[in-house]
Formats: sequence, C-alpha cells, structure tokens
Amino acid sequence: MVRPTRFEITQKVSRSTVTLSLLGELDMSTVPQLSDRVRHQLRDGANELTLDLRELAFMDSSGLRLLIELFDDSRRDGWTLRLIAPRHEAATLVLRATGADVALPFQTPPTS
Amino acid sequence: MLDRAHNAVISMDERGLVTYWNPSAEGMFGIESERAAGRPVAELIIPERFRAAHVAGLERFLADGTGPLLGRRVEMAALRCDGSEFPVEMTISAIRDGPGWTFTTFVQDISARRAAERERERLVEELQQALTGSERRFEAIVGRLSDPVTIRDRSDRITYANRAALVHLGFATTEELRRTPPAEIMRDYIVSREDGGAVAMDAIPSVRLLRGEAPEPLLIRTVHRRSGQERWNLLKASPLLDEAGQVESTIMVIEDVTEQKRAERRSEFLAEASRALASSLDYQRTLQTVAELAVPHIADWCAVDLVDRDGDRVSVSVAHVDPDKLRLADELRAYEPARPDPAQGLGLVLRTGEALLYPEITEQMISGAAVDGRHLELLRAVGFRSAAVVPITLGERVLGAMTLVSAESGRTLDRSDLELAEQVGARAAVAIENARIYSERSQIAHTLQQSLLPEELPDVPGYELASAYIPAFEYTEVGGDFYDVWQARGQWMLAVGDVTGKGVEAATLTSLVRHTLRATSDFLSSPAELLAQLDATLKRQRRRSVCTAICARVEPDGVTLAVGGHPLPLRVHPSGAEQAGEFGPLLGAFDEVDWQDRHVELPPGDTLVFFTDGVTDALRDDGERYGLERLRGALARCGEDTAAQVVATVTAAVEAFQAGEHADDTAVLALHRRPDHEHGDGAADEI
Repeated sequence: MVRPTRFEITQKVSRSTVTLSLLGELDMSTVPQLSDRVRHQLRDGANELTLDLRELAFMDSSGLRLLIELFDDSRRDGWTLRLIAPRHEAATLVLRATGADVALPFQTPPTS
Repeated sequence: MLDRAHNAVISMDERGLVTYWNPSAEGMFGIESERAAGRPVAELIIPERFRAAHVAGLERFLADGTGPLLGRRVEMAALRCDGSEFPVEMTISAIRDGPGWTFTTFVQDISARRAAERERERLVEELQQALTGSERRFEAIVGRLSDPVTIRDRSDRITYANRAALVHLGFATTEELRRTPPAEIMRDYIVSREDGGAVAMDAIPSVRLLRGEAPEPLLIRTVHRRSGQERWNLLKASPLLDEAGQVESTIMVIEDVTEQKRAERRSEFLAEASRALASSLDYQRTLQTVAELAVPHIADWCAVDLVDRDGDRVSVSVAHVDPDKLRLADELRAYEPARPDPAQGLGLVLRTGEALLYPEITEQMISGAAVDGRHLELLRAVGFRSAAVVPITLGERVLGAMTLVSAESGRTLDRSDLELAEQVGARAAVAIENARIYSERSQIAHTLQQSLLPEELPDVPGYELASAYIPAFEYTEVGGDFYDVWQARGQWMLAVGDVTGKGVEAATLTSLVRHTLRATSDFLSSPAELLAQLDATLKRQRRRSVCTAICARVEPDGVTLAVGGHPLPLRVHPSGAEQAGEFGPLLGAFDEVDWQDRHVELPPGDTLVFFTDGVTDALRDDGERYGLERLRGALARCGEDTAAQVVATVTAAVEAFQAGEHADDTAVLALHRRPDHEHGDGAADEI
C-alpha cells in the first residue's frame, strides 16, 4: 500500500468568495480531495476562488494538472481563479519547470 | 443474501452515505431501506452528541488508515427514527471496494439483554434478603427467576433447585435431582471452557466459595450428547453465611448466555473473515485463512471448493484444528469426484446456488454415500454430526461453495450457522471477483504498456543506450511515462516524457505524442520546433491534453535538446552529475509560449540520464521524497560507467529508498558516449 500523504485544506467563505488554504503535500493521493472540495464550492455558488498555496510543502505533476484544469474551467464557466504562490522550494519546482509560474493566475509569481 | 441476517447490516461509502440497509435495519431503526439509501449514517442512527466523533473517525481513517473501532465489538447508544435511544453492540469492518472504501456495520440490539441483567441483579439481591426470612417468601422469589438457581450445602450437595434448574438439568422433582450423583448429571453433556479446555471441578464457583475464595463468574459451554444442542452458561455463586460468619450454603445462578455468546462469536468471525478477504488479492490464501477462522468456533471442519472454467470442482482449502484429522481429509478427497453428484450435497449447491443444511447426519446417510469399505471407514472416522453447505455466488453465477461440518464437538448446526456461512460466502465471492478483475486488467495494462515502449533500443553509433520502465504498484492501468528512440532524415532522435494521467486516456495520448514527434521529424530537425508542433497538436485535442517531454537529436559530440516542462536530464561525468539544458513550458498547456534548442556536449565516457518525476517524487515511509539531490549523489559515483550500469544504479537507489512499491510509474533512459577507443568502424559516417 502506498502511504497516504499528509494534506489539509482550511476554508474561508465570505459570500461568493472562497479561499482554500492548502497545507502539506499535493500529489496524486491528495489531488482528489482538493478537486472534490473545489467542485463542491462551485456547486454551492462560489464565483471567486482563491487557492492559497503558501504552506504547500510539495506539489507534483498531478497537482499542477489540477491547477491547469481549474484555470480552464474558470475561463470557460466565467468564475475567477486566483493563486497565491507557494513558499517552499519543493512546491515551486514543478511550477517553474513547466512555465506554470507565469501562465497561471498567480497574484505574485513564485520565486525560487 | 445479507437480507436474512438477524443483525441489522448497514453499509456506507467513504462519504458516510448509506449504500446498504437490510430488512433487520428497517425494523431496528424504523426507517425503510429506500428512505435510508444515500443518506448520512450519522443522521440516521447516531445520537447527535456522538456525530462529530463519527465524522472525525471516518476522516482520520481515510487520511491515515487508523480505525481503532474497526473489527472490534463495541457497545454504544443508537438512535431510532422516533428520536429514542437504545443500547447496541456493533462490529464495523472496512472493505476496499474498487477505488474507495465500503464500511459495513453489524448492529445487534442489546436492550433486552441489558434489561434482563438489571432484573436479575435486583432479584438476586431480594433473594439474599429473603433467605433470612420465611421459606414461603423464599420460594416465591426464586420461583420467579427464569434462570436456574441451585443451593448447595457445605459438601456441595444440592439442597434446593428452582423450577428453571430442574428443567435445565432434566429432572422432574428436587428429590430426584438430590438422589442423582453430580457425575451422572454431567454424563449427558460435553462440558468445556471457552478455549475448549476441560472444566476442572475445583474451578466451579460454588466449590471455590466453599474453599474461602471470592470466585469470578465462570463461562462454560455445554453440548447435550443426545440432541447436539449447544448452550453457553455463566455460573455465578454467592455465599450464604451462618451466624458465625462461615459459609453455610452457596447459591448458584446459571445464567444462559447462549444467544449473546453465539452472536459475539459470529460477529467476530464475520469481522475477521471480512478483514482477511479484503486484505489481499491472493484469494486462494485468504480463503484458507477464512476456513481456519471458522474452526473450531463455528464448526469443527470448514472446506472451500471453487468451480473452474470447465465446471470442475477445485478444492481450495480445508481446515480443522487437529493436523491428524487433516490427513484424513486428504485421503477422503481422493474419493470425491471432480463433478460431484448434482442431485445432493455439494453438487446440488453448485448446481442450484441454494444453501443446504443437514442438521442431523445419520448412519444411513453415511453408508449410502460410501463407495467402498475404506471410504465408509474414513467417513465414520470423521464422526459427522451435522453439516451446512452454502454457495459462493456472484449474481446468478456460482463460483463455489463453503462447507461447514460439525463432528467431535457433537453440536448440531442450525439456521443461524447457515446464515452466517452465507454472509461469509457473499464476501468471498466479491474477493474472488476482485482478484480476477485485477489480474485481467493488470494483464491488459501490461500488454498495452509494452506496445507504447520500443521493443528494443536501437544501436546508435558512438553511443550506448539503456532504459528501464518500472510500472506503478497498482499496475492495473497504463501509466503515462514513455521514451522513444528513432531515426529520421539520417539522424537519431530520442524523446522522454510523461502524459500526466492513467489508463486508456494516457495510452491514447502517449501514442499521439510518439507518432506526432516521429512524423514531424521527417520535416523538421530542430527539437524545439518539434515540441512546438507537438504543443499545437495537443491544443487541437478536444479534451485538455498536456504532457511533459524532452526531445533530443543525437550528434557526434553530444545532443541538441529542447525541454517541455520536463525534469532536466543529468550529465554524468567523472567528477559528478549536473543538470543539462534549460526548462521550457509544459506542452499543450499555455498560450504564447516557445521552446529553445540547447546543445549539450558529451565528452567520451560521459552519460546523459533522462528520467521522469517518478524518480524524484518517490516517497519513503516517513514522507521524505527522493529528490534531485539524492539522484545527483547516486549518479556522481557512476564515473564512466556504461549506460546499463547507470540505469541499474538509478533504479536500485530509488527502490532502496522507497523500501516498498512504486506509487507512480518511473522511466529512465541513459545515453552513454562510448570512450574513443571503443568507436565502431565507420560509425562517424553514419551519423
């Protein structure tokens, strides 16, 4: 069995603006949790979503893929996605290696 | 099949929503199955003050796999639809069901048991007070007790027995009982302790009381020799003191705990069997475990037979606590045909899918089944008393059957044993089917994966190539890692990449990426331009299709490469290992992006190692990732090793680090420039 990774989402909702703060590791074992939570919020009528990645310790390519899909969805369905850049090296690596640091809607771009 | 259980059986999914609700649950909670389905278990049956703990427990299990309540019998309060609460005993088991977990709870209403306990305590208290009062008042109270009560004098002779005690021991009057020596009374019963051991006379609570000890209640199991009826009794003794404070007589209450004890054993067996069946995909081994769990608590023998593709019976497991008896089973098996008689027993169950119960196996049945003298001798040696055969079915299909036999314990099997076996049979069917689907999917995935990777690496003059592909542990789907080496316009090209995703989608996309790169390379020789073409192709796909890739053109002194969102390759040289090339954007993902060609010089003896993120993201037990620095460290020691040696170093290092299975697929491709003296003849002309 693959060991489950530590991952937590804390949520702040004010009217239709939702902020999800991620703590821990966003990888193939925790991506479904975040995906479910976001889609749940959107169903409940959120139209501005901020993902705060500051405390994210690690992100892999499946985490990045989810961010790209959410950005696609936001443009197609007319809601706003904002990203707050991670501070930890192991989480920014995949963003910088793929050009996602400039292409995704980060409020301030991730730095090394 | 579960619908006939006496216990309420409730299943829920990972979100805590009801997926199964049996008729007993309808009765117990006053909620119909259709109304319960899809609603949160917490709202239906858990009193409000415990709901938060239930939700937290579920989340914790899903997060880290710990479930302190799982597989144990737990007493707690439950809620009826009218808001009233009642005490229950429950056992929860978690079963992996496809991608998620299913939780099944067996619930027993223990209100009646609780009420009886309180009533009994009150009456015994009254009794002790009354014994100091009149004879008539004494009889009035003891007579009301539904539990057998006996009073014994200092020499442990029975001086009094109430009505229930006389019925229990099979006597008409107290006089008759008094005249019968204790050894004779016990002759009709097989008496044992819970662990199956013999009950010593000086362990009986009344005897211990007379010795001046303060005995705990003693649990015993009795099987009536003639009827085969099994009972569980809890013997409790209290002293009656004379004026000097000495024990004058002992009052012994024999509490019948048969139903409780059997329910307890059944739910333990069910929980353990469910856990065993869910624990592994090796169903033959788990069925053996299940058979072993059944003996001796449920039956003396347990056997599981499955039907193979040709309809022949395949014996999977036989269990008995005594190894000598198992040898008997081996010898008996030689007499059993591959196609058992479809008109009776196992054959009938395999044909109809209906369970069979033989409460009493007669001498006539045994001699009728024997084919010769030796067979009859063996059948008699087993000492059959009673048997139950239940099907293991999946929908209409009968996969096999489980047989329970009661022999030397002397006890007869009844409907409740049959129902229990059916419940285990239903779980076994799911386990067998899961294992079959898994092995089929794994086979398909393996074949498809092979078709997406080059059959063998070509000879590239002046260079040596080696590769490794390690599929993820859950190898039922095609992974997204790929590599390719091909020749176009007289030049050797190579690519390594990762199409995040799994399964058919990943396989289709991998195939598209490989063919796009190969086809485009007939017209373009710049790796950066090839990636730009690939990016455009991916963006034309109906579904968002992204991938990482490195494309490289092999040249006499090294490679020219472009990187699309992929980990940079490492160049291994005698004094270390460094990243080579430059990051470029992910393919198929972003607007207005481009890629750059970079030349990486490879002096003779150097190796360029391409890899996917399965290497660097590999996870250790403590949560640590393998990471780039460890990989560089491992490669720095490779010096001028050959490509095959370098690949072996990487895979060995990652495997040692993970100390377990790969969570993700992992690909490694090494391009080693042969030292000058190894150059093949005419190699330079070909490049």
